[in-house]
Amino acid sequence: MNQIVSIGTSHHVAPIEFREKLAFSEAQIVESLQHFRESDQVQEAVILSTCNRVEVYAVANAVRNADAAAKILAEFLSHYHQIGVESLKKWTYLHHNLETIRHLFRVTTSLDSMVVGESQILGQVKAAYDASREASGVGTILNRLFTKAFSVGKRIRSETTIATGAVSISYAAVELAKKIFNTLEGKTVAIIGAGEMSELTAKHLVANGVSNVIVANRTYERAVKIAEKFNGIPVAYDSDLGFLIDADIVISSTDAPDYLIKRRPLADIMRKRKHRYMFLIDIAVPRDIEPDVSKIDHAFLYNIDDLEAVVASNLKDRQQEATRAEQIVTEEAKRFYDQLQIFQVNPTIKALHQQFREIADTELQACVYKTTLSEQQEAAIASMTQAIVKKLLHHPMQNLRCAVNDGDADHGQYVQALQELFALDVTDDNSDM
Amino acid sequence: MINFLFLVTLLIYLAASIFQTLSLAISSRSEAVVIRPTIERIAFWGTGIGFAFLSLFITLWWLTQGHFPMTHWTDSTAFFAWAITLIYLIIVRLTHLRALGSFVMPVAFIAILISYSFATHTAALPEPLQNYWLLAHTTLIFLAYAAFIAAFGFGLMYLMTERKIRRKTDALLDNLLPSLGISDGLGYRCTILGVILLTMGVIVGSLWTQYIRDVPWRWLDAKVISTLVTWFIYVAQIGLRQFWGWHGRRAAYATIIGFVAVLCTYVGVDLFLDSMHTYR
Repeated sequence: MNQIVSIGTSHHVAPIEFREKLAFSEAQIVESLQHFRESDQVQEAVILSTCNRVEVYAVANAVRNADAAAKILAEFLSHYHQIGVESLKKWTYLHHNLETIRHLFRVTTSLDSMVVGESQILGQVKAAYDASREASGVGTILNRLFTKAFSVGKRIRSETTIATGAVSISYAAVELAKKIFNTLEGKTVAIIGAGEMSELTAKHLVANGVSNVIVANRTYERAVKIAEKFNGIPVAYDSDLGFLIDADIVISSTDAPDYLIKRRPLADIMRKRKHRYMFLIDIAVPRDIEPDVSKIDHAFLYNIDDLEAVVASNLKDRQQEATRAEQIVTEEAKRFYDQLQIFQVNPTIKALHQQFREIADTELQACVYKTTLSEQQEAAIASMTQAIVKKLLHHPMQNLRCAVNDGDADHGQYVQALQELFALDVTDDNSDM
Repeated sequence: MINFLFLVTLLIYLAASIFQTLSLAISSRSEAVVIRPTIERIAFWGTGIGFAFLSLFITLWWLTQGHFPMTHWTDSTAFFAWAITLIYLIIVRLTHLRALGSFVMPVAFIAILISYSFATHTAALPEPLQNYWLLAHTTLIFLAYAAFIAAFGFGLMYLMTERKIRRKTDALLDNLLPSLGISDGLGYRCTILGVILLTMGVIVGSLWTQYIRDVPWRWLDAKVISTLVTWFIYVAQIGLRQFWGWHGRRAAYATIIGFVAVLCTYVGVDLFLDSMHTYR
């Protein structure tokens, strides 16, 4: 019987020092897959190697049970990366069959990621799968498994909200801006002061359509320097805020001890810009923007705490959604596992039926040849033999299917027994899936 | 038979209004993904089916009475609801903003409820009023009202979104209501549409009285005055926006004031003042 196993490590269980030892380069992946193919111990394999995890998914059919299959993988890793069995045991996890399926689904849907709902992992799994397919490392089972994993990922994305809601300050700022302006196209952002966070936020805003960047600084030279990064317009800061007339979004992050943007001058500016919306983001501590500014019509002020609260509430939301996503994953894994079992016993069932039918047909032909039967009699005997075949096979087949459906681990032995007892020639060619 | 059809229409409108409001009540993002699509679909299709029933009902009424039904409150409010739904469906068709229904459908439902409660009344339409002038005049006026009510809906949407943004933490939780820019812009367009329709309706009405019916123009007719006040409120709104940048929050409040003016013109005048426009 085919055993689906996986061995791996991730940021959940192992430190970077161990993960980097286990990591595979692209060339190493190809090399390893080739090794598997030649060794004949592992029929199919996919190797996923990212900065957060290294995992090997494999199908082995020449082994007695899943443990034996897992052992092959562990030995391979230990040998390939020159890692002691002890540390391998300590820092890696092993999964068998149903658990492997569930684990892959969790990984693909980002439930196992550091930030639940992140979208990168799906692409990484896809890349790993493609790489293995190119190296002919993937057969029927992993093909089905990974295709299913991608569709589960899609389902989770459409039925839950684990992937929505900004979980970083800069994205929260972008989403808020969209909630105000609808589109950022043609909008102008003004950056006051410098800093990693404000520049990152400005970058995201530009990526989302903001077309003009104004950079204000106490010294014009500084402003010119920062403006170069964004292809922006440098201006010198002045306390009556004239440079904000065209600014729809303002990001302030200076180390000034007092408020730079006060209510009264900003109210004047707002009047001059005909009360077009202004979204002010104050990421400076101490704050740059007087809190009373938010009392001006159409001026929306968010400080660093507000943005962090938005992010926290989004994260909480994702966590809640993750519970629901886990249920979907568990249910999908179980269903896929059951289908796989049935799919795996089907060739045996088919072969057995065929054998019985052939015997019946041959005997029927012999009988008809020897005797003289009317057409009616011949038809009656033919249908009788059909019925006998059906009835003889009824209980064994039913019990076999039951064993599969109940998740009975013994069904593999049943299948093997059937194949051996009846000398069935079951080619493991599942091309008709 | 007609009454039964009316009852069915009423119930469909009730259901559609409830579901429209329900979809607005959903505030968490997870609920929004799981149940809102279903609720929204029911609400929207309920609205569509209700509109079809109402159209059928008004047509039947028209046929049985032999003239455009616009004599009694029953006719008038049913037609009012019809106009509101029509404008709503057109807006959804153009913008895909179904959320507007949460604000306008309850108004349509109340109109039908009033209509239903008067349903046994019938009154003959005086001979001189039985013509296409009446049809054109009232249709234009009611579509204008409906456009103003849609603007009112957008105004409320704007204020709700703005409150959420100012409250900060739940600013992004909800994805049903559109951004401030959208609510504001669409509310303005509805206002313009309403003003155009109302202007046309008033012109048709005055031409009709002066040149066709040869009735002396009564400036002191309560409905006329009230309509002109309403018209002025909306025109002022457009002017303030164009020349003084009154948009967003102020515009949203203005749509509410306008809505009250529309209600006063439509209902108030009939109940408390004398006019040649009253429904009996």
